[in-house]
Amino acid sequence: MAALWLVLEWYGATSQVPWLFLLAAWILALLIFAGVYSWWNRAGLRLRLAVRGIRTAPGSPADDLPGHLLRNGPFPAPVFEGDGIELELGLNTTGGSRGPAWINGYVGGKKLTFGTGLVPAKGWTRLEVLRELHRGPIGATGWTIGSSDPLGFFQGRRSFPDAEVALVLPRFRSLAGRRQTHELEASVAAPRSGSGNELFGIREYRRGDSLRRIHWRSSARHGELVVREYEPPGLRMLGIFVDPSPPSADVADQIARIAASEAWDCISEGGRVVLWAPGREPSHSPRDLWSQLEWLARYPSPSGGFAASSPLRGEQGETVVITASANAELLDVAGRARRRKVWVVGDAAVESDSPIERVGTQWPL
Amino acid sequence: MAAVRRWLRLPASPIEHSVEGRAFVFSGFAVAVLAIALYGQDYVVPVIGVIAAGIGHVVSYRERNHKRGFWRQVFLAALVFGALFYLIADSALALFGGILPQANFAILLVAITSFDLKTRRNCYSSLWISLAILYLAAVYAWDYAFGILLALWTLYLAGFWIASHLKRMEAGVRVPARALTLMLAAGILGGVGWFVAVPQPTAIPISPLVISLPNFSSFKGDLESPALPLVQLTGDPTGATTSVDLHFRGRLGDAPVMYVRTGAPAYWRGLVFDQYRDGVWTATNHDYREMQPFVPPRFLPPAPPHNLGTFVQTFRVLRPLPGVINAAYPIESLYAPVTALREDAYGTFHTPGPLRPGQTYSVVSYLPDLSPESLRADEGNLSLSDYEREYLDSQALSARGRRLAADITNEATNPFDSVMALTSYLQANYRYTLDLPRVPTGRDPVDWFLFDNKTGYCEQFATAETLMLRSLGIPARLATGYATGDYDPILNQAVVREHDAHAWVEVWFSGHGWVPVDPTPGVPPLAATRFPNHWAAGGLARLIPHLTIGAPAAALGSVGALALIPVAIAIALVVVLAYAWLRRRRWTRGSRPARGESELLRLYERLQRRLGRRRAPPETPLEYEHAMHSSPFMGRWPAQPGRGDAGVGQPGGEDLLEEVTRAVNEGVYAGRWPNPRRVRELAERIS
Repeated sequence: MAALWLVLEWYGATSQVPWLFLLAAWILALLIFAGVYSWWNRAGLRLRLAVRGIRTAPGSPADDLPGHLLRNGPFPAPVFEGDGIELELGLNTTGGSRGPAWINGYVGGKKLTFGTGLVPAKGWTRLEVLRELHRGPIGATGWTIGSSDPLGFFQGRRSFPDAEVALVLPRFRSLAGRRQTHELEASVAAPRSGSGNELFGIREYRRGDSLRRIHWRSSARHGELVVREYEPPGLRMLGIFVDPSPPSADVADQIARIAASEAWDCISEGGRVVLWAPGREPSHSPRDLWSQLEWLARYPSPSGGFAASSPLRGEQGETVVITASANAELLDVAGRARRRKVWVVGDAAVESDSPIERVGTQWPL
Repeated sequence: MAAVRRWLRLPASPIEHSVEGRAFVFSGFAVAVLAIALYGQDYVVPVIGVIAAGIGHVVSYRERNHKRGFWRQVFLAALVFGALFYLIADSALALFGGILPQANFAILLVAITSFDLKTRRNCYSSLWISLAILYLAAVYAWDYAFGILLALWTLYLAGFWIASHLKRMEAGVRVPARALTLMLAAGILGGVGWFVAVPQPTAIPISPLVISLPNFSSFKGDLESPALPLVQLTGDPTGATTSVDLHFRGRLGDAPVMYVRTGAPAYWRGLVFDQYRDGVWTATNHDYREMQPFVPPRFLPPAPPHNLGTFVQTFRVLRPLPGVINAAYPIESLYAPVTALREDAYGTFHTPGPLRPGQTYSVVSYLPDLSPESLRADEGNLSLSDYEREYLDSQALSARGRRLAADITNEATNPFDSVMALTSYLQANYRYTLDLPRVPTGRDPVDWFLFDNKTGYCEQFATAETLMLRSLGIPARLATGYATGDYDPILNQAVVREHDAHAWVEVWFSGHGWVPVDPTPGVPPLAATRFPNHWAAGGLARLIPHLTIGAPAAALGSVGALALIPVAIAIALVVVLAYAWLRRRRWTRGSRPARGESELLRLYERLQRRLGRRRAPPETPLEYEHAMHSSPFMGRWPAQPGRGDAGVGQPGGEDLLEEVTRAVNEGVYAGRWPNPRRVRELAERIS
């Protein structure tokens, strides 16, 4: 554009045709005002990046989870392996319509690029559906807003810090039906959850619960029957110890699924779960399924903390070990438990006096 | 070799997928063609070109993703060569009428290449050729309406940029209309402001504008009624007069005769006369030489010494005129769209036939240095031997006329002082009028003008001075032509009307050649040929009389491109001030206190001073109030002597602190500041 201006000025100067000066002046003025426009445009654009909805896949645990559990879950809904998410990408403006602008970056390793000539005052959005997600955090990385003047001469770019837009949880299902050996059931010899004397909390009504235990105020608030639950005298504590270094992503996924299923079985029966792997910080909130699932979603990545030994004393409760290798520390901890079981994913040679169940990486088991 | 080939190869250009962008390219071409039709009065090829280009654009868009076919490329190349043949044939031989062959060639080129607009670079090529067409039209554009076409073309260019840019980012052609309109309007208005206010550079022209050949004329020899105001009874076949008779005067109307686009105001000299007999001027020397339409400098006299440079004039004839090239002299080079030119013995160029409306010619002239100092110290070796006798012939002047000339110049010590003394005398003692009574029978018009009537118009003044100079031994002759005309500083052009017809004196200085001198009252004697040539005033600055702008313009010229520095500083200053103003506006808008806020806070400060302890920075107003309730300061509030009302330290003073604290809290945390009247009431209670 500047070259065009110079050429016009030169021809104007040598030909004495003043119209060329006018044209050159217009070109120069357009150049200047395009620069001003570009500066104004860049100053008022903000990135919008959020999960708008979930597209559950067939067989997703989300379909079977009770409503009260989902209400306490991640917003707007939990995302499990194989599900999809509707990602809302866009731009917001300050002070009226702007544009042109374009955004690009990665979400879950997929490069996304969108552009628009007009960002209306109420914002501009594009919906991107990410399907068949894998377990783990979905990061939004390398996001930038590009903007320019309408003529495209002055382009600018603003980068945004990386962020996590969603956490894909491992799939799970109740493994109770698979139990052929009944050593674990023996641990449930304690009185039924809710039969103690000390108020433990509330839970959804299940068939067989006494009507006298219905907590009517909470039922009214939740819109479904809720019963008071009394802490059992012998609280079940389940320690799920997992392989700290699974050999592959498939194995890690399978370990996470089995662990999630064990955790679900325990928590749904009123028990408490602690997840742990050597060298990793154990999970928190033993009664909260979502905390456990989140821990498993990030497995085997270190979570920043470090626990040298098992958070449970062996004699305190039951232990489930899920491993793909003969990790000595893991087996040693498990060996100290009163009741234990070992899941072996893959073909690793594991020697243990505990009951061992071998599985592959196919899901469901 | 391969490396050189790689270096020479242009980078790949993407395929232009934007249909809107292509529409803008076509529209730009259409506007340029419209300009040619309107201002060049050329219709056939433009219409064909626009239709063909329209079809070509459609074809190109549909086939943009296809590979270019070899034979199709060959066919298009053949068409381009055909258009080139048309250009050469029409330019040199006028085979197709000789009307704007360059413009028509460019139009045909765009039309042909429209069938091969595949990439963005192709589209740019089409736009640049459109710009060239527009440039050709601009040569003939003499009114402001052309600016509309130019603005349209600029907007189409911007439209192409926008559409192409948006397509590149895979976005639809939707833009913030308000902001874009504001930007484009600001660009257009800012550009006009820049064009009007900023001086335009003037470079030395390489040659006259040899760009087009409208109304190609050949020798016909017919006589048309010329619009030359100095209507005479005799004339040559081109309509040019061969004499000037002071007994008669043609009517001088206001009709435009021609437009002159020029780099400097000057007199447009036509015919020159050397012999005066019985009130009639004639040219005695009828020699001439024939020349080609383009007369390069090597066929013309050498440049005058110490000249100030050259400037271009482009003439567009509006009414039928005699076949005389009116131009600023001395001429450096010349181009006229005729079959041949004739240069007479006085240096004036003639065309084979009359000049017709719409005909254009361009001339490059020297700007001689005609300063009084230079002319007074005139020493040169230019020879005038051949015609010296005629230029010194003053027989027609009466004896008392000679005596008058001698009396006027008796104190002059050099020819220049003599010339100026005579010029000043005539301008001061004689009156200019167009209502001249008929010259009495038997009287010589000059003698009658000098001693009886003492009024006249340019011919009387010029003739009188010429003859008086000759009587003093100074060679002089009568020059006729046109004054500059109504000069338009914006378009850098003059409208020459019939009443601008003029006659003046040319005086011979051996170091300068023929120097125009104008004895007509109200006209600067040596003004017309002085104008700075580099970084001369442009735009509105041209409104300043050129005699007064000389010094600053020369100063600007001496610094060359550095002259842009003040402009850049001015622009930067405006930008900084605008930014500061915006920042200040935003700051003041954001920090402007609410009504009653500052009054209440001042009151709160005053109250704390009265209580003898200021609120500590980490202390909230409420904590301060509670602390003060149990503070010994509360009781030290002095009662105002002579007043019975309760102060802060008096009974009821704690209530006042409580009220103020509550008001402050409501203002700070809820944004509900009290009414200033309420604050005043509280203030009265303190005092």
